[in-house]
Amino acid sequence: MSVLRAAARPVAAAILMLVLAACAGGPQFSQMQDRLPAASPDNGRIFVYRSTVLGAALQPSVKINGDVVGSAVPQGFFYIDRPAGDYEISTATEVTRTLSLRLDPGQTRYVRLGVSMGFFVGHVYPELVDDAAGLAEIKDCHYTGK
Amino acid sequence: MRRIVLGAMLLLGGCAFDVIHVQQVPASLEQISGPAPEWTLSQDVTVHLREGFAVPLKAGTTWRAIGRIAQGDVFRTGDQVVTVEASNVYEAALVTKGDFVVGFYLIVEHTFTAADPQIEIKRVIRSP
Repeated sequence: MSVLRAAARPVAAAILMLVLAACAGGPQFSQMQDRLPAASPDNGRIFVYRSTVLGAALQPSVKINGDVVGSAVPQGFFYIDRPAGDYEISTATEVTRTLSLRLDPGQTRYVRLGVSMGFFVGHVYPELVDDAAGLAEIKDCHYTGK
Repeated sequence: MRRIVLGAMLLLGGCAFDVIHVQQVPASLEQISGPAPEWTLSQDVTVHLREGFAVPLKAGTTWRAIGRIAQGDVFRTGDQVVTVEASNVYEAALVTKGDFVVGFYLIVEHTFTAADPQIEIKRVIRSP
């Protein structure tokens, strides 16, 4: 029993290290919110964030209309400016999950990346959230954009 | 035994990949002429669909007509996010006929999905 207990500490520490290493490390949204450049008037802005560390090793690419625009990094966020129009945001692990939304000129949308159980690996899925909820959840996330 | 294992695999696979599709029919949105009707929802409502998650609509949200489809009048609000969600998520607008919610218009897909059952709403008319 004591052998198991002795082994548990380094294993737990290793897991914690892995989780921390998998998390985003850039500046927090709350620190850079005021310094973010404004989107041009014809464009809208989409913030994509993942507030949970659940399934931290799982970090699929995030695509918008088929183009990779970022990754689903735990506690990370990035944003994309796009002309007003219709967009499909997708993530893929063992399945592809999509979110379709309309972006109006000057509009800001918040897309949360949730994590759910899968068959072999977990699923990361994009969901559209209200501005208030998005702003509250993204503030502690770290910037992962380029 | 092999059949049982295969059946279990298919069942588990079905759960994991949760291939739940929202039933959609094509819908053509016609613009409305004149001022857009507008109303405010008086009480919380939850709209159920045949497939996928129920859609909550919040009291106090104001809805403005954006057009009409064969199934009814189409309204959007800036006061809450409205999505229809099963395996995938679709931004949606509300479709009403009189005082009943009959379903949702999927904005990007240009399709309609029906509420099941249709549900009566209480609202305050703001304009015409």
